[in-house]
Amino acid sequence: MAPPDDLVQDATLPARGSSSAEPAQPARLVSRYDSIRLSHGSGGKLTLELIEDLFVSVFSNEPLRELTDAAIVANHGGRIAFATDSHTVKPAFFPGGDIGRLAVAGTINDLAVMGAKPAYLTAAFLLEEGYDMAELERVVRSMKATADEAGVAIVAGDTKVLERGHGDGVFINTTGIGFLSDDVRLGVSYVRPGDKVLVNGTLGDHGIAVMSRREGLELGAELDSDVAPLNGLIEQVMLVAPNVRFMRDVTRGGLAAVANEVVLRQPFGLRVFDVAVPIHELVEQYSEMLGIDPLLAANEGKLLLIVAADEAEAALGAMKAHPLGREAAIIGDIVRKPEGVALVETAYGTRRVLEMPIEEQLPRIC
Amino acid sequence: MTDAGSERAAGGAFRPETYKDPTLVLELRDRIAALAAEIGRPVKLMHICGTHEHEIGRFALRDLLPDSVTLLAGPGCPVCVCDNEYINMAIQLSLTPGVILCSFGDMLAVPGSIPLEGERRGDVRMSLLDARARGGDVRTVYSVFDAKRIAEQNPEKEVVFFSVGFETTVVAVAAMLKRGAPDNLTIIEANYYTPPATSLLPELDGFDIEGFMLPGHAVTITGLRVYEHLAERGIACASGGFEPVDVLAATVSLLEQLRDGKPTVANPYARLVKYDGNEKAKRELDEVFELAPIRWRGIAEIPASGYWLREAFAAHSAARRFAGRLDPVALRGAEHPKGCRCAEVTLGQIRPDECTVFGKLCTPDSPYGPCMVSHEGTCRAWYVYGMHKDRLQVEAV
Repeated sequence: MAPPDDLVQDATLPARGSSSAEPAQPARLVSRYDSIRLSHGSGGKLTLELIEDLFVSVFSNEPLRELTDAAIVANHGGRIAFATDSHTVKPAFFPGGDIGRLAVAGTINDLAVMGAKPAYLTAAFLLEEGYDMAELERVVRSMKATADEAGVAIVAGDTKVLERGHGDGVFINTTGIGFLSDDVRLGVSYVRPGDKVLVNGTLGDHGIAVMSRREGLELGAELDSDVAPLNGLIEQVMLVAPNVRFMRDVTRGGLAAVANEVVLRQPFGLRVFDVAVPIHELVEQYSEMLGIDPLLAANEGKLLLIVAADEAEAALGAMKAHPLGREAAIIGDIVRKPEGVALVETAYGTRRVLEMPIEEQLPRIC
Repeated sequence: MTDAGSERAAGGAFRPETYKDPTLVLELRDRIAALAAEIGRPVKLMHICGTHEHEIGRFALRDLLPDSVTLLAGPGCPVCVCDNEYINMAIQLSLTPGVILCSFGDMLAVPGSIPLEGERRGDVRMSLLDARARGGDVRTVYSVFDAKRIAEQNPEKEVVFFSVGFETTVVAVAAMLKRGAPDNLTIIEANYYTPPATSLLPELDGFDIEGFMLPGHAVTITGLRVYEHLAERGIACASGGFEPVDVLAATVSLLEQLRDGKPTVANPYARLVKYDGNEKAKRELDEVFELAPIRWRGIAEIPASGYWLREAFAAHSAARRFAGRLDPVALRGAEHPKGCRCAEVTLGQIRPDECTVFGKLCTPDSPYGPCMVSHEGTCRAWYVYGMHKDRLQVEAV
C-alpha cells in the first residue's frame, strides 16, 4: 500500500521487505553506545541523539522530523477511529516476528476492524537500562517495515528509560488514528441469525509459536507467528461485501474470547464447526502435546468476520485472494438458539460450550 | 485401534488424526448402542482419570452414548485428591524466609484449610496464589527438573518441590532423585498410587459401577495386573487411551465383557500399554519410594496408596527437613470448605451440577473446591465444556 501522500519517505534508508526476517545488518545508527543508559531517557543530549539518529532516521517522515511537541497531520475526512495498545512479549524476537512488528500491527488491526483506514501511529518506548542498542534498532526497523507494509506513518513518540531490573528489556505502546467514512456501520448490534462467521486463516499460530520458543520445544519444524497488519485485507473484503456486520481481530484468548464477546447478552448464539476451523498442522501437534486448545491460543494476524449469508462467499473469495487470507474459511454461523452461547459442533455432531478463556494458556502437567 | 496400532508398529507416522476419525467414531457409537440394547438394562461405567473427563468434555462424547449407559468420572484428579495437609504445608513453607516453593501451575489456586483473612464470601481458604500475594516465593514449574535447576541456581536457598501427582509424575521425581539431587532440594510427598483407591470404591455403600475405564497414562507405568482383583470381584476393566476412538473403544470393551458376563482386564489401549507396564520405571520407582498410607482429600486414608521416600532418600523429604518449623495445628483442618461436595463428585456419587455451589459460588475463575481448580477436575471440565447444561439444542436459520 502507498503511504498517505502528505508524508515524504526518506530515500536514504534501505528498502525493507514486509517480512521481519533478518535483513543484512546495516551499520548501526546510534554508534556511540552499545546499550541504553539512563541518560537516554533524561531529556538531554543522549535523548536527542537517540531520537534523531534512530527514531527520526528510521521512521522518517515530515511531522516527526519537525521534533515538535505534537505531530500535526492531515485530516482525511469522515469520522476518526482512535486506539491504543501496549506490548510486552517474551521472547521479544520470536519465529515470524518481533515486538516491533507486533506493536505496529496490533494497533493497526484494532483500527481496521472498526472499518477505519489506519493513517498515523505514535510509538512510546519504555526501555530498560542496559538494553542492547543493536536489538533496539532491529525492533525500530521492524516497526518501520510493518508500518510501510500497512501504509501508515509513525509520526510521534516518547522514550523513557527504567532502571536496570525495573523493566523487561523493552515495552512499546502504540496509539493510532484512522479515518472511517460516515456510512460504515459495524457492530454486534447488526448481527442477525443466519449470518456466517469467517476467519482469514489458521488459528493459534502466534500463541503456539511464542510458547514453543519460550518452552524451548523442538519438533524439527519451525512454526511462524501470524503477526501482520490486516488493513489491506479488510479493505478488499469491504469492497465486495458491504454487509459485513462485525469484525474483531482475534488476539489473546483466541477465537473463544471473540466468539464469547459477540454473543454476550445477545439474543442469538454463535456456532463453530470444529472441522471447518483452519489449524496449521504444527499447531495441531504442539497443542496436543501441550494440552492446549488452539481455539484459545493467541493470534496477531487474524480476524473474525461476521457477514450476511448471501455475501459470505464473496467475502471469502476476497480474503483468499489476499496473501494474508489464503487459508480463510467460513467456520460457523449465527444461530437463534441457544441464546448468548458460543458453541462448538464436533465432527461427530456432538456439541460443547466454547467457554470464555479463564486464564492464560499454560501447558498442562499430566 | 488394531489397524492404527499396527500402522504405527510398522513404522508409519504417528497420526493422532486417526484416533479422531469421524467414521470410526460413529461406527463405535453404533456398536455401543447395539451392545447396550443386547445388555438390556442400565449400566454405569466409571473412568478414573482427569484427562479422560477433559477429553470427554472437549468432544462431547457423552452425547454419543445411549441413555442406558452412564459414564461417570471417578477419583482421577491428583490435584483434587491431594490432602489439604500438603497444601497447607506448601503454603507455610512458601511463607518461610529463605524458601523457594516450586509447584505445578495446577496446584496454585487450590485452597487448603487455612482461612483467608479479610475474605467475606463464606468459608474461603488460602491457596498458594494467596501465599504469593502475601510475599511467598512461589514459582510455577513444568517438571521436577525445573525445580532441580532452580535449586542449583540458588544454593543459598532451600528449594521445595510440591510433588503432586499419580504414578505418571512420581516416576520423573524418582528418576531425578536417583541421578543425584542438590542438597538444598526437598520434596513435599503428595504422590498417589491409584489401584488401592479403586479397590476402596466397591466397599462404599450403594456402589453400582459395573466397569472401570483404566487411566491410560498410569497403566502405562503400572501395567494392568494390579487391577485383576477388580475383575475377580465381577467388575469389568479396560485400559483407556485419550482420543475419542480410544475412549469409545474402551467403552465397547467394557460393554462386551458385561454382555458376555465375563469381566476381565482388557487392553484396548495396547498401542501404549503393556500388560506388565514399564518394568524400568517400576524398578526406579521402587528404589526411591515405598508405598505408605496417605489421606485422599475428603475420602479416607487409604493403605499403601501413597509414595514415601525410602530411608536412603529421606534427606530430600520436606516434611522431615522442616519438621521443627511447621505449625502442626495449622496443617490439619476441615477438609473441604462448607457446602463443597467435591468428595462426592470425586467418588462419582453425584454430578457436579448437583452441588449447590457449582457455577455460583464456585467457578473456574473463583474456585471454592479443588475439583473446580484443576484442569483435571471434574467440576471444572463440566463447567468449561457446558456439560451441566441441557444438551445444546441448536435452532439455526
